Amino acid sequence: MKVKPPMYIAKQSDVEALGFSFTPEVQQKAKALEKMAELRSKMRSLMVMLETCTKCGNCAKQCHSFLGTEDYYNFPAARAELFRRIYKRYFTLSGKIFGRFAGAEDFTEETLGKWLTYYYQCNECRRCARFCPFGIDTAEITIIARHILSELGIMPKFMQGVAANMAKTGNNMGIPKAAVIDSAEFMESEMREETGLDIKIPVDKPNSNVLYIPSSADFFTNVDTMIGAAKMFHVLGTNWTIPSSVLEAANFGLLFDFNVMQEHNRRLKVATAELGASLVIQGECGHGWRAAKMYTNALNGPVPFRLLHIHEFCDEHLAKLPLKKLPIRVTLHDPCNYARAGGIIEQPRRILRACVAELVEMTPNREDTFCCGGGSGILMDEMFDIRMKLGKKKAEQIKAVGNIDYLVIPCSICKAQLPAVLKYYGMDKLEMGGLMDIVGKALDIKKT
Amino acid sequence: MLFFIGQVLPYIAAAVFVIGTCLRVAVWLKAPVPFPLTLFPAANTNTGRMLLIGREILFFDSLRRGDKWLWLWAWLLHISLVFIIIGHIAGIYYLTKQFTLIGFSAETSSVLSGWLGTIFGMVFLAALLVLFYRRLTIPEVKRLSDPADYFILGLLLAIVVTGMYMRLASDVDLPAVRAFMAGLFTLHPVPIPKHWVFISHFALVNILLLYFPFSKLIHMVGIIINRAMITELPPVYPPRRVNPTQGSNRSISLGEGGCRL
Repeated sequence: MKVKPPMYIAKQSDVEALGFSFTPEVQQKAKALEKMAELRSKMRSLMVMLETCTKCGNCAKQCHSFLGTEDYYNFPAARAELFRRIYKRYFTLSGKIFGRFAGAEDFTEETLGKWLTYYYQCNECRRCARFCPFGIDTAEITIIARHILSELGIMPKFMQGVAANMAKTGNNMGIPKAAVIDSAEFMESEMREETGLDIKIPVDKPNSNVLYIPSSADFFTNVDTMIGAAKMFHVLGTNWTIPSSVLEAANFGLLFDFNVMQEHNRRLKVATAELGASLVIQGECGHGWRAAKMYTNALNGPVPFRLLHIHEFCDEHLAKLPLKKLPIRVTLHDPCNYARAGGIIEQPRRILRACVAELVEMTPNREDTFCCGGGSGILMDEMFDIRMKLGKKKAEQIKAVGNIDYLVIPCSICKAQLPAVLKYYGMDKLEMGGLMDIVGKALDIKKT
Repeated sequence: MLFFIGQVLPYIAAAVFVIGTCLRVAVWLKAPVPFPLTLFPAANTNTGRMLLIGREILFFDSLRRGDKWLWLWAWLLHISLVFIIIGHIAGIYYLTKQFTLIGFSAETSSVLSGWLGTIFGMVFLAALLVLFYRRLTIPEVKRLSDPADYFILGLLLAIVVTGMYMRLASDVDLPAVRAFMAGLFTLHPVPIPKHWVFISHFALVNILLLYFPFSKLIHMVGIIINRAMITELPPVYPPRRVNPTQGSNRSISLGEGGCRL
């Protein structure tokens, strides 16, 4: 690999400990091409999306990554070309015959380095697919390129660390069960102090109807999101629990390896069966929601349980919640994986209208939303500068909304990325957090 | 040489075009779609899906959302091409008298046919030039472009220029062209009319047909298959009915250890 990617790469021993086979440099080309051939015959999307592009360039101005970094290879069509050129050279007749004339290129020692660099500057937000006349989804090509890299044993250290934690503890941060219970008790006492009520955050409670899969960050950094969810479940009398084996809605497999994704889904299925739940509710995590909704049945089906996002659940029961409107003006950031990849578009708006005095929309919004720039698991410290560039478009959008009291960012990745971005672009006074945080604050449930 | 261009090449070109395109699409369709790639907001019925796909194909909705100018010229390019193809079929078959079928006189029909052909030809030419200019002037699009992209533009330009030349500056013998085309379609090929602009126009179209299945022009079919994938009905949990092509029965292995997807 000649190109130096902007992140730390996982060590061979660590990659092997996860069960990936590490491919020596001399065999990389052969193995990569073999993987491409295999995936090509197994995924229609890969073939059609690679062969249909007419290079009109409409995606350039739609991509926050290109707009923010101004790096040619972050222009979605050019990013896809990193894959497409190799694909053409070895798998299409025109590429084999006409070569460079038809845009085909040999696999060289720079290829994988460029893949690692640029497929990890794509947030897989699918905005390009929204604007492509053919609906070519660069995120799909990113996902497949990352999967091939992982299969060769090439992955960012960050991803390897997450996967190791997930394998060990069931969550990306490696939180042991004792710490979870500790944190749950702390939040319970907070709620008792605030409301005078005995609101529980049950962990591994057998015979529960509902399994709640939060984001593991909700135990530590985003406790208000967890408190909001717990208050809502309390009011509705829901028999719920959090499984310690799947403490995390995020499924990092989607972001670098299909097999890891399948393993996460398997855990979810097992936990649901063990605790006897018939409904699984996913917490505030964008790509976790996409992975659960769009991939569970295909990877691990058939799925015997009902699956809802917490916003869908909250929206369904909105009339039953004793909500008192908070006197604040808020704006909503649509996480890319909710709006474009998961169909959570109007629910958060209905919830917010019931919870706050004024909701102002950003432009563009809903399915045309720009990504926060942290999505697809690139929240690596060493990529801070790049992440800030990826967040530039979102920052401009938020600035353009004008005076607001609160920014709703209902996804754990957005919650990690946007505070840093807004600080970087001079908006560090703005308060922000999840949607369930707002629901929790608007719930009028003080013991009288 | 004229024998080859007039009586051999068209059959090769037609065969390559039809068989090549079908084969390429068959390879696509053979590969499964293991995961729903639904892009939201999604349709909830198959009729809704068809409407979404139809709007995209007829009006280029997504493109219009992104770039109004590109949309305008791309749409004009395609719509004029459709009318040009229809015009060729009708105009040659009826020797420009096609509008007598809807009540016009023979002279009016010829004039109308001539005007419509000229208008759509000019629009097509203008659109090609605008897209050519755009490809050269937007830095990232220029960098993305390969010789093949310019080749297609050049080929189409050459086709439209020779076509317009016949229409405006030279007298092509339409009944002779009709007889020649009829010979081709009835598999009794006759010699090609010795009109050098017609011969070049005809040969260029054959080159286009030969090149079509191997080029990005395949986007004509790709758009339908791709759109069908990203408008797939979103999954419901628990699934309403067990679809044998979905779930654990899909035997696709992505992993080293043969993990079944």
